[in-house]
Amino acid sequence: MSRLGPLLVLGAAACVAALSVGFSSATFGGTDTNVAVPSVRRLTEAQYRSSIDDLFGSDVEVVGRFEPDMRVDGLAAVGASAVSITPGGLEQYHAIARHIAEQVFDPAHRDKLVGCAPGPDDADGANCAASFIGRVGSKLFRRPLGLAQIRAATVQTLASAKQLGSFDAGLGAMLTGMLTSPGFLFRVDTPAQSGPSGAIDAYSKATRLSFLLWNAPPDEKLTTAAGSGALDTPAGLQAQVDRMVASPRFAGGVRAFFTDFLQLGDIDNLSKDALIYPAFSTSVAEATREQTLRTITDLLVEHKGDYRDLFTTHRFAMTRALGPIYDVPVTRPGWSIYEFPAGDPREGLLTQASLLALHSHPGRTSPTLRGKAIRETLLCEKIPSPPANVNFAVVQDVNNPTLKTTRQRLEAHLDDEECASCHKATDGLGLGLEKFDGAGQFRRTEHDMPIDVTGKFDKAPFDGAGNLGRLFHDSPKVSQCLVKTAWRYANGRNIEPSDQAQIDRLNQSFPANGYRFIDLMRTIALDPAFYALQRVSRSAPERTARAATERGTHS
Amino acid sequence: MSGIGMKTAGVALTMLASSLLIAADAPTGGQPGTRAFVLNGLYVGGGGDPNGCPATSSGNFDIFLASLPADQRTRLSDPGHRSELQKMMWSHYGFRRLRLWPGDFGGRLESAKLPPDVKLHQTPTPAQVRAIAELNGFPKGRGSLAYQKQTIAYSSCTNPEDFPMLAAGYHPYSGKISTGLNLDGKDGAQNFVSPEGEKGVDNQLWRAVGCYKQFQEMNDPALQRKVMLSARSPTLIEVSGIDDIHNDPDVTVRIVTGADPLVRDGAGNPLAHASFMLDRDPSLVTVTHGRIVDGVLTTDPVDLRFVFREQIVDNTRAMRAARIKATFLPDGSLDGGIFGYSTLASFYDMIEQMTQDGADNVGMSCVGVRQAINRYADGYRDQRTGRFTAISSAMNFHAVPAFLADQGKAMAPSRNVEAAR
Repeated sequence: MSRLGPLLVLGAAACVAALSVGFSSATFGGTDTNVAVPSVRRLTEAQYRSSIDDLFGSDVEVVGRFEPDMRVDGLAAVGASAVSITPGGLEQYHAIARHIAEQVFDPAHRDKLVGCAPGPDDADGANCAASFIGRVGSKLFRRPLGLAQIRAATVQTLASAKQLGSFDAGLGAMLTGMLTSPGFLFRVDTPAQSGPSGAIDAYSKATRLSFLLWNAPPDEKLTTAAGSGALDTPAGLQAQVDRMVASPRFAGGVRAFFTDFLQLGDIDNLSKDALIYPAFSTSVAEATREQTLRTITDLLVEHKGDYRDLFTTHRFAMTRALGPIYDVPVTRPGWSIYEFPAGDPREGLLTQASLLALHSHPGRTSPTLRGKAIRETLLCEKIPSPPANVNFAVVQDVNNPTLKTTRQRLEAHLDDEECASCHKATDGLGLGLEKFDGAGQFRRTEHDMPIDVTGKFDKAPFDGAGNLGRLFHDSPKVSQCLVKTAWRYANGRNIEPSDQAQIDRLNQSFPANGYRFIDLMRTIALDPAFYALQRVSRSAPERTARAATERGTHS
Repeated sequence: MSGIGMKTAGVALTMLASSLLIAADAPTGGQPGTRAFVLNGLYVGGGGDPNGCPATSSGNFDIFLASLPADQRTRLSDPGHRSELQKMMWSHYGFRRLRLWPGDFGGRLESAKLPPDVKLHQTPTPAQVRAIAELNGFPKGRGSLAYQKQTIAYSSCTNPEDFPMLAAGYHPYSGKISTGLNLDGKDGAQNFVSPEGEKGVDNQLWRAVGCYKQFQEMNDPALQRKVMLSARSPTLIEVSGIDDIHNDPDVTVRIVTGADPLVRDGAGNPLAHASFMLDRDPSLVTVTHGRIVDGVLTTDPVDLRFVFREQIVDNTRAMRAARIKATFLPDGSLDGGIFGYSTLASFYDMIEQMTQDGADNVGMSCVGVRQAINRYADGYRDQRTGRFTAISSAMNFHAVPAFLADQGKAMAPSRNVEAAR
């Protein structure tokens, strides 16, 4: 820790109070039985990082362990509305903030990032402090600070500086405080003071829009549009949405959505048995995630493609590290698009190593895990958890001399009727992917036995992952699940009956727009409902109780 | 054009047409009809007769120790005194090793005085090497570049003719059995019988070096599968034009050097199915014809070059009339050897680069090896001197599936195929 470090610890706590922006100022509208509730969403780790990156540049490192994101019904974006910060988590945020402040005030960055210092015209540095607090605070809190707030924070900074014996220590402590303030760590909607009841204000709109499309805080232009009132007009909103969708940063937003949707963050903890899958390593695992995200952005963003084509595409992002897993020559440097020929076993998202490996065991495949993931993620179905007393002995015995294939072992397991009911829902789809082993490598046989990859999806027969992908391509369930998930991701909550009209509208516009993911996001971003406070009925005690339980359990 | 040539040309045209008509990349498993492999190394092979060596040939330390009084010999035989032994031996024989450039050699090497025309980090010309040697007090006309051309050395490896005493304790392999191939179609007193009973096996290199501990140890197939040699510049073999992996009378075989390193997988074996860029040196690309019979690939003889590039050694080995005999295994790998006449010149270069340190550490004598390969050389007689310039040899390998960056591109047989016949 630098010389500044201990001082920041002392001073930061005192500064938090000076800038508790917005968090407690949220107001509620409506009647007792129908209350408009502002959403409060904790920044994800990626959003925190992009906020710091936007503000201070990529050479200021964000180092530390974050509070883990929590998924609610598969989405961390929904979980972000249900989590708080534990005392331990706050310590971690504080340590991260301190380290950031140390870097901002170190000699390598100070001139560029602080830009002023006490001098003859600013003896105690009050002007410098006010300027820094105003500029940095408005970025961190995603809205301009009021003069009173800046004044109070400046006074606090100077008091800290005096106590700590250094202007930089005082201002550094203020920065640490801002970085651990709820106003930064949570995205809190502020109800609009004017306009239609139940709407959020323009800066909250800008924040929702920016995190939806870029997974990052609003930039200067968006903040300006919010400040000028342009964002409150349909034309102004349209202009900003068009600009943001056309920006290269939109790909970052799409990556964030699909990382959450496909739960690709779990690849961080993915490991395989090196003796069984020697070609699979940590770096390969990371490359599989990058492959999937690049494949998706290539199709959906760069080619403005049809979401359904993800299930049939032959164009896979590829890099040298993945050549051994895919058993193909990779000769171009870096990442490029590899086009598998027609008829190749690699066809569509279902045949990408990321999903195949993620939903397998360390040393074997799992049609059950794969099927469950497909059902829950891509089809938005609910699969119950297995009972605690399941006997997995037959399934796990991969060297069983008579039950040589996974299908045979699973069928033996299904002799147990209790197990059969759930496995019927999952295994059929998972078995269709059995020609890819637990690391996502193609194989034709298992223990020298040909692998049967036939099955049925919604009564339609398929033979292998390519076939299944084509059925997914044509299934309304698949595209409707994306719509639901995108809506939940955008709004940070699950769908209530009162939201169904919006979902229905999206289910009409999505096919009408050629299933283009860009248009789905654009439609959500332009819908006034996206900027409304959620109406919650207080006469629904069970809902409130459920929310409380979720927060208590997971936070 | 012969039938074989027409098929080769046909394969090339088909592949060219495929690449023009279809924008797609190669399918899973690579281009149909083409299999490529990366070799985990090339190991001097031979032997098979447990009584072929009366004793292990002596290494430098053994020879020097034998020359010492008994009490000193006992003390210095302790591995804990290895450093002292080496220092004493180097001093006794006048071995020198100087670093040319500033660098980390553990602080053990003194720096060479350099003539003014030698530029920093530029490999000196032979004339400059002589000038550096002279300036630093090496015996007249002695001294060579060593250790990745970063040092200049004078030792029994650079100048074996000055140290004949270090050939003491040498034994040739005298067994009747050895792996290898009958390269010249003849069977004589110097030939071996293969473990499978084939007569006329030519493998004089094993006769020359087969009793050195280092070569004996590395002749173990299990060890060869684990140890990777020349991982910085691995050798690759590509077989194309395959209609049937079990039997095909006409395939094209390309032997090349990779520009990418061979890396290990999570189980410690060479990573399979990796892609390799190729060394751009055209002399490191060799193309020949081959055939597959019952899953065994054999090729026509061709002169080829391959690289040994390790931490210390950077040696290009030349083998004349080289041919491959290797078996496609069910797990997708290829096991076999390259058989032909290793040129003495490229073998000398390897020994020089190995350095005195290297030879000391592996229990070998550069002098013993050089004298032996000179004595047992049996190929490509120099008409002017009447001496053989190459020695029959077997280089074993284990190879795992790989991809060449330009798979299937070079289809014309090397011009030296016919010459090697």
